Amino acid sequence: MNALTFLIPLALLIVVGAIALFFWAVDHGQFEDMETPGLLPLDDSPDKQGKRE
Amino acid sequence: MNTSVLACWHCGEPLQAGAAVHAHIAGESRTLCCHGCRAAAEWIEQLGLADYYRLRTQPGEKPNGASDSSDCDAWLRPELARHVVRKLDANQREVLLLISAIRCAGCVWLIERSLTALRGVTSVRVNAASRRARVVWREDEVSLAQLLQLLARVGFRALPLDAQGLDDARHSESRDALKRLVVAGFGMMQAMMYATAVYLGSVDSLDPSSQALLRWLQFLVAIPVVFYSAQPFFRGARNSLRARQLGMDVPIAFAIAAVFAASIIDTLSGRGEVYFDSISMFVFLLLGSRYLELRARHRASDLTDALARLTPPFADRRLEDGQLERVSIHELHSGDCVHIAEGGIVPADGELLSARCRVDEALLSGESSTAGKQRGDRLIAGSILEDGPVQLRVERVGADTTLSAIASLVERAQAERPRLARASERATARFVARVLAVAAITIVGWCSVDPARAFPAAVAVLVVSCPCAFALAVTAAMTRALATLAHRGVLVVRPDALEALTEVTHVVFDKTGTLTQSSLTLADIETFDGFDRDEALQLAASLARHSRHPLARVLAAQSVTTLGVCDVVAHPGLGISGSLGTRNLRLGRGDFALPLRRLSSHYADAIVLADDAGPIAAFHLREQLRADASAGLDALRQQGLRTFIASGDAHTKVATIGARLGVDEWRARLLPAHKLAWLSELRAGGARVLAVGDGVNDAPVLAGADVSIAMAEGAELAHASSDIVLVSGRLTSIAVAREIAQRTLAVVQQNQRWALIYNFTAVPLAALGFVPPWLAAIGMSLSSLGVVLNALRIGRSDAASRVNKPAARALTRHAESV
Repeated sequence: MNALTFLIPLALLIVVGAIALFFWAVDHGQFEDMETPGLLPLDDSPDKQGKRE
Repeated sequence: MNTSVLACWHCGEPLQAGAAVHAHIAGESRTLCCHGCRAAAEWIEQLGLADYYRLRTQPGEKPNGASDSSDCDAWLRPELARHVVRKLDANQREVLLLISAIRCAGCVWLIERSLTALRGVTSVRVNAASRRARVVWREDEVSLAQLLQLLARVGFRALPLDAQGLDDARHSESRDALKRLVVAGFGMMQAMMYATAVYLGSVDSLDPSSQALLRWLQFLVAIPVVFYSAQPFFRGARNSLRARQLGMDVPIAFAIAAVFAASIIDTLSGRGEVYFDSISMFVFLLLGSRYLELRARHRASDLTDALARLTPPFADRRLEDGQLERVSIHELHSGDCVHIAEGGIVPADGELLSARCRVDEALLSGESSTAGKQRGDRLIAGSILEDGPVQLRVERVGADTTLSAIASLVERAQAERPRLARASERATARFVARVLAVAAITIVGWCSVDPARAFPAAVAVLVVSCPCAFALAVTAAMTRALATLAHRGVLVVRPDALEALTEVTHVVFDKTGTLTQSSLTLADIETFDGFDRDEALQLAASLARHSRHPLARVLAAQSVTTLGVCDVVAHPGLGISGSLGTRNLRLGRGDFALPLRRLSSHYADAIVLADDAGPIAAFHLREQLRADASAGLDALRQQGLRTFIASGDAHTKVATIGARLGVDEWRARLLPAHKLAWLSELRAGGARVLAVGDGVNDAPVLAGADVSIAMAEGAELAHASSDIVLVSGRLTSIAVAREIAQRTLAVVQQNQRWALIYNFTAVPLAALGFVPPWLAAIGMSLSSLGVVLNALRIGRSDAASRVNKPAARALTRHAESV
């Protein structure tokens, strides 16, 4: 029972943290385009100092 | 092996004998079809971007210089740029470009690299799926027009979208949906974890205080699921009840609210069962299928939206010295005089200054008949000029006009729900009414038998019944089909066309610009009575630039300087006439240009220029079959369709092409009215007719068929009057589109059958009390998930095989070059 009083709040905290992290990622457009980033590694041009974001 | 020799290295079009040019690219000699392609290829090489040819899986777009650069320059005007450019700070500007021909990884790469290489560009983000690029640049170093010109040089036609497009409402819709889905997912996992503890605990006799704690914890994690994730269901139910309709959200909202309320009561009293895990799972799985549907819908609208917006918001304003100036429609003022070309869209409400014209006001009135207008009559913005060109004095502009053509096109494409979807909506409403009735009967029935089981059984009925499967059965399949087709370059303007396409038995093709390439080459000029060749060409070009007919465009492109011809009238199917000073000029078919004289059969397929005195010159144009014409027709014949050619062109030319393609029947020298008569004849014989055309001349024919397909190069008119637009320009896409349409209808039927069977077995069982709530939640959610997943199969199996072909070809090329 003692373990529960410690572990349950911890579990809830982790869940809240994970959701917060996910919301941050969504709001910063990480899930907007699921196709293009997969193509970018194909770009092996020598000048890599990109202006790209 | 042959492909690399016979096809252009850049655009992949077949090479014309003698017209090919050569260039050294990456140390290899390459054969290209034209100087435009050579310039593009050499320039790509100069930028050090030749890897494009290795990365790409689709041939590039053939650059066409002349018209694009004037369009680009128009964006230099601050009045116009204001509508599309967003200021980030004093110097930084942002724009959202719609790029028509992003086809593969190579394109994304090329656009990013070439724009980034431009001085002053700070950020480029290309989205291959929605064909949009977001570009940020410094205003003092580079201009929007330069960006567009650069893209045009590489072969991409870019159109800046409205500044509103930058804050796309769909972005927030899709972000919201994703967040709600994930919250529901986490909630479900947590609730299930505690629920498992309770279930196991009841076996191992957990002490009551721990049981109460675990129940309260389930309640805690279910709160965000019900009050945040399930919001769309409550909102949907409220909206549909307010509209006095029974939508699919009504029983869902009822079920969630009822189960949640009952579980809270049980938690407080500490007796009975709690179902927080069941609701969380219910919400999560439902949101999951909705999210898949939303993604498919967004993909589809990304592309249909693009079609509507591609109509350029420009007008040609006539200045006092008689010259034309290209301005945006926002810049027109009342009292301006504008020039509208044949097939063009009337930019503003106004008074007709030319003698007469015919306009199609179908977009506004819904009637697809054309109206004749006389000098002084009112023209309405958004109507389409059937013949022309005409001059118009602007009276009302912008928001004052009856409607803008672009807005109405978008609305028409989006507001029109396919017949199938409307039918399924009505079925859903009836179904929901019955489910509510069954739930009520269940309560009443159980109350007389065992009151304690009345509530769980009624809830099970609400939860297990799956109106979503009904509601999503059609829409999910349709949106998926539209998106799949759009990805292949087939834009469906009227969704009903999909159903009609499957029933087609006869296909009637126009020849010029449809079976043959729209660009012709001028093979020979023959002059009469010692006329100067260049002078004749200049006269013909001056007349021809007023028409959008493919033949006229070739002539118009031949001469740089043009003369001011007035009173120009286009005679569909015949030619074009106008006057230069006192001289009446006629350009077109031999019997039109010289009605009184019979020319020898040598001129049967030439374009003749004549004035009152007699013939001036004859132009012999050569046309080429599209590379995939015979493959496209073969594919259609394999599907058991009969193919026909209806052409306004000369017998000999149509006969040659008819024989080469092996069509069932062809007719030549047809006027639009004749083509229409032939179509009605076929339809009267029980045939379902698909008409494929390209432009102004066959617009009435397209409107007269059961289904119509227009090739995208056609004038705006063709977009407006056809059901489907082929942007890819590939004739083979027609057969593919028909396959996909058939598959879609099959999936719709499977879905409806599944929804019916599922509900007929599940609802009675639930009413009799055999289905516990958790099982009901799983069954219902899986049922709607199954419907959506089934719809997502459309275009998947053949997508793999078809997409790989160009990739394989590119690989072969790469192998050859190494």
